[in-house]
Amino acid sequence: MNHELQIVTGKGGVGRSAVTAAIALAAARSGRRVLAAAMTDASGLAVHFGLDRLDYLPVPVQPNLHAMAIDRGRALDEYLRLQIGLGKRVPLLPLSRNLEALSQTVPGIRDVVTTGKLYHEVRSGNWDLVIADGPPTGQIMSYLRASRVIASLVRTGRAREQADKMTELLAAPGSSLIMVTLAEELPVTETLEALAELEGEGLIRLGGVFANRTVRPLGVSEAALNAVQDEAVRASGLLHRGLYEGQKRWRRELPNHVALPLLFGEHIPADVAEQLSTQVVS
Amino acid sequence: MTDIVLVAGAGGVGKTTLAAGIGVAAALEGRRTLVLTVDPARRLATALGLKKLSNIADPNPDLETLWAAMLDAGASWEAIARRHAPPEVAERLVASPFFDAIARQFPAGAAYAAAEEMSEQVENGAWDLVVVDTPPSSGGIDFLTAPAQMRALVGGRVLRMLTGGRLPGRKTFFDRATKPALRLMDGVLGGGLLQDVGDFLFDLRHTYDGIALRSKSIAAHMERAHMVLVTTNDPLPLIEADRFVVERPGDTRTPIIVFNRTLPEAWIGATTTVSNPRLVENLSRWAAEAAYQRDVRASWEERHNLPVVDVPWQADTPNDIGVLKTLADPIWVRLAIAPVP
Repeated sequence: MNHELQIVTGKGGVGRSAVTAAIALAAARSGRRVLAAAMTDASGLAVHFGLDRLDYLPVPVQPNLHAMAIDRGRALDEYLRLQIGLGKRVPLLPLSRNLEALSQTVPGIRDVVTTGKLYHEVRSGNWDLVIADGPPTGQIMSYLRASRVIASLVRTGRAREQADKMTELLAAPGSSLIMVTLAEELPVTETLEALAELEGEGLIRLGGVFANRTVRPLGVSEAALNAVQDEAVRASGLLHRGLYEGQKRWRRELPNHVALPLLFGEHIPADVAEQLSTQVVS
Repeated sequence: MTDIVLVAGAGGVGKTTLAAGIGVAAALEGRRTLVLTVDPARRLATALGLKKLSNIADPNPDLETLWAAMLDAGASWEAIARRHAPPEVAERLVASPFFDAIARQFPAGAAYAAAEEMSEQVENGAWDLVVVDTPPSSGGIDFLTAPAQMRALVGGRVLRMLTGGRLPGRKTFFDRATKPALRLMDGVLGGGLLQDVGDFLFDLRHTYDGIALRSKSIAAHMERAHMVLVTTNDPLPLIEADRFVVERPGDTRTPIIVFNRTLPEAWIGATTTVSNPRLVENLSRWAAEAAYQRDVRASWEERHNLPVVDVPWQADTPNDIGVLKTLADPIWVRLAIAPVP
C-alpha cells in the first residue's frame, strides 16, 4: 500500500543527481524496493551509480535498487499504448512523431508524458519508492503544473482523463518534492521562490530540503588566523572560515533542512553518492 | 567596430561574476563597455550598478565607462514577435497560451532572444566592447547554435510534420481526410487542440523572414566574438566544458579556458610548524582538494591544447569593482583585444 513517489529538484550544479542517488541507495539499504529514474536528458544519475548510461528498462544496481532513464520517445509510445489505451493495431510511429513535434509547441505535453511514466511505475506495485532525478528548479513548476495545463487546454477525451489522474497522484500523501540547494545566494533564492509557489498551489507536498556541500565551523577566530605566519595554513584557514560564514548566512534563510558535507578531494560520482547516502537519512 | 566577448560555461561555475569582472577590467582602460548579464546575485548587480534589472542599460555610479543590462528571455520573446510579425499577428501571438510555452520550453529560444539583444547592442555604435554572460542551458553551446535552431522552428519543422510538407492556407490547415494520424491525434487530444496549435504556428511563420535575416548578422557577430569558457574542477562542469570544446561551431574563435575556484598547488603536501590541530587538519583537507584539482588539470591538458587561465577560489561573492577587476584581469589580459584607436 505504501507506494511512494519522490521528485528531486535543484538548480543546475548543486548536486541534484548525487543526492537522488544517495537517497535511493539509503532507501534500498533499509530494505525498500526502490526505482531511481532520470527524468531529463541532462541527468547525471547513471555515473552516480557507477554506470556509463541508463536505459528505459530498469536495470538492477544493488540489492533492492533498480535504475532507469525516461527516454521521451519510448515514454510517448508507452503513454499512447498503455495510458491512452490505443490498441496494438494502431500504427504508432506517425502519431508519436507528430506528437513529439507538437510537444515543442503545446505546453505540458512533454512534461505530462515524462510524469506519465513515473505514474505508471508508481502504480505498477513493483516498487516501494520511485525516486526521480527531476528537472532543475527553474522548470519544476511547469512540470508539476503540466497535467493541469493539459486539462485546461483539452477539455474531454482520454488525454484529459490521464492528466487528471496525474494531478491526483502528485497530490497524494505518498508523493513529495525534495529540494537540493547550496548555501549560496542564487540557489537559496531560487529554492525559496519555488517553495513559495509550491505552498500557494498545493500541487505536491514538500518532502525535504537538502543544503549540499556545506562545511563545518573551523573553530579558530579570524584574529588568531591572521596572526598565523605559515601562508598555506593561514590562507586555507581564511578560505574555510569565509566559506562557513557565507554558508551560515544563507542557511539561516532556508526552512528546516538537512546539511550534507562538502567532500574534500572526493569527486568520483559513485563514491560521492555512497558517502552522502550515509548522511541523507535524518 | 564593437568588440564582443562571449562568456560560456555550465550553471554555478561563476560565469556571471567573471563576465562582470572582464567588463570592469575593460572599462577601467577607458573602453565604453556594456555587460549583458543573465542572473546576477544581488550584491553583484549592485556592484555593476544594475538598478532596474531590465534590458535597458544602466550606468555604473563609480565607473562612467561601465554599463550593464539584463538579458530577460521572457521580455525578449515578446520583442521578437513584435519586431518580426505584423502588429495584429504579433498581438495574437503574444496573447496565445502557446506563446508562453514556446518562450519557456524551446531551449534555444531564450538563447536566441539573448543573441538578438546582443546584436542590437553590438550594432548601435554606442560601445567599444560588449561582454555577454550567456544563458546557462547546455554550457553555452545553445547560444552559438540558437540562430539555426530558431530558423528551423519558425521555418515550420513542426508545421511541415503536421501537414505532410505542404504549407496550406489558414482555412485548410489540417487536411484530416488525408492524414489519418492527425485524425487519430485529434481524437486523443480532443477539444480542437490541433486546430488551435495550427493557427498559432501559422501566425508564427510571419516571423520567419525577419528571423532568417537577423540570424545571419548574429552568426557573423558570433564568428568574430572572443570566447571565454568558464569551468570549475568538478566533474559535471568539466563534462559540459568538454562538450563545448568538441561541439562548438568550427567557424568560432578558439576559447580561453578559465578554471575558476582553483586552489594553490603549494598546499599539496605542505608541512607546517603550526601546532593548532584544527588548522593542521584544515590544511590537509584543503590539500586533498588541491591534489584532486591537479589531477583533473593534468587530464584536461592531455585532452585539449588550449590557453588556460586560473582564477583563485574566493570565500565570498565579489561585491566591488576592485575585487572584480583583480579576479578577472588575468582573463582580460589573455584576451589581448587591441586598444580602441
